[in-house]
Amino acid sequence: MFGPRLEGRNGVSLVPSTLEHFKLHGPWSMQPEVGRFWGPRFGEVTDDNAATRFKEFADSQTSVNWSIAYQDEPVGFTGIFGIDWVRRDGESGIFIGRHDLFGRGIASEAVRLRTDFAWRELRLHRVHNWIGLANRGSRRANEKSGYQQMGLYRKSWFRSGEWYDEWLGEAYPHTFPDQR
Amino acid sequence: MALGGTIRGKKTTLRLPAETDLETYNRWMADMRVRRAHSVWQEPAMPATWKERFKETAKEKMDVLWSIDAEGGLIGFAAGSFWSVTESGFTLRQFVIDPEEWRKGYGWDAALALHRYLFDYLDLRRSGVEVRADNVAGLRIADRLGYAEYARGHEVHYRDGGYVDEVQLFMPKETWHERWGATEREYGPVAADATR
Repeated sequence: MFGPRLEGRNGVSLVPSTLEHFKLHGPWSMQPEVGRFWGPRFGEVTDDNAATRFKEFADSQTSVNWSIAYQDEPVGFTGIFGIDWVRRDGESGIFIGRHDLFGRGIASEAVRLRTDFAWRELRLHRVHNWIGLANRGSRRANEKSGYQQMGLYRKSWFRSGEWYDEWLGEAYPHTFPDQR
Repeated sequence: MALGGTIRGKKTTLRLPAETDLETYNRWMADMRVRRAHSVWQEPAMPATWKERFKETAKEKMDVLWSIDAEGGLIGFAAGSFWSVTESGFTLRQFVIDPEEWRKGYGWDAALALHRYLFDYLDLRRSGVEVRADNVAGLRIADRLGYAEYARGHEVHYRDGGYVDEVQLFMPKETWHERWGATEREYGPVAADATR
């Protein structure tokens, strides 16, 4: 399912995704600046596949997804996936496709909105994620919303002559900073 | 999920699952002893639903399911996922032994055989598994195989009125070869004159 519109600070909001947003994901993910901490930079990057994924995300009963908007333009995606409604646990993720906008605090605000929604609206108990240890921007964005390290996965992947580790984080309602 | 072929252990054999196994799978998924030890693979359901699941399972490319036999009968199943075309690894997602057959060494025997297949036959780089922190038997098998903890999720699984932690473990192929490479081989050496 797609989440509701959540208005944030500094021009950032989370909005229900549209098919047009999904068509942006493939080209974004093929950029070297975006792919450093992501997948292999190849894939079924077609509009048909975007439509299939859009329908799957819309139909899912175990995930809540949003497009991230910055000054009303789509710039990425975030969501909580694989939600177990008994354990009340899910895995979160965030993807900023517009690398020219890195460093403006968009991810931090998107994670804050998403995490607040997880506790106040979904009544989740826990959210967890995996982040490239060297992806400090993403890691800090999550830490600001209460994610804490629960482990470190060594030598997860190899790029440009060095191994990259992954940081595993988890967050709970009691670790979420008071935003009032 | 694809269907896995024969992997022979000393006491157990992982083998191609069959539709006739499904009734027993259903019984295990309804057994509270199994549900407290593991995440549920599939919820109990009608036979027709299990047949549909089985058909879908066979079509999956990156996941594999095996039934486990011992002494001529079905005693468990294992299921897991290969990672991707660019990442050589396997996550063991389900490893269920019939509670009536616990404490007979079947779990260890089948786990050793399965990991021999992963490292000695498929030459994977890593395997991973997530085990509930109170599943002492599962953790003991993982430790003996060579798994090491890299993360611990707090209050992850809910069962029996409370949460329990989850231990995340992985094993690199170097550890497998160091610990088991000398004794656990799928095949003997190729004969010296075999390629002439």
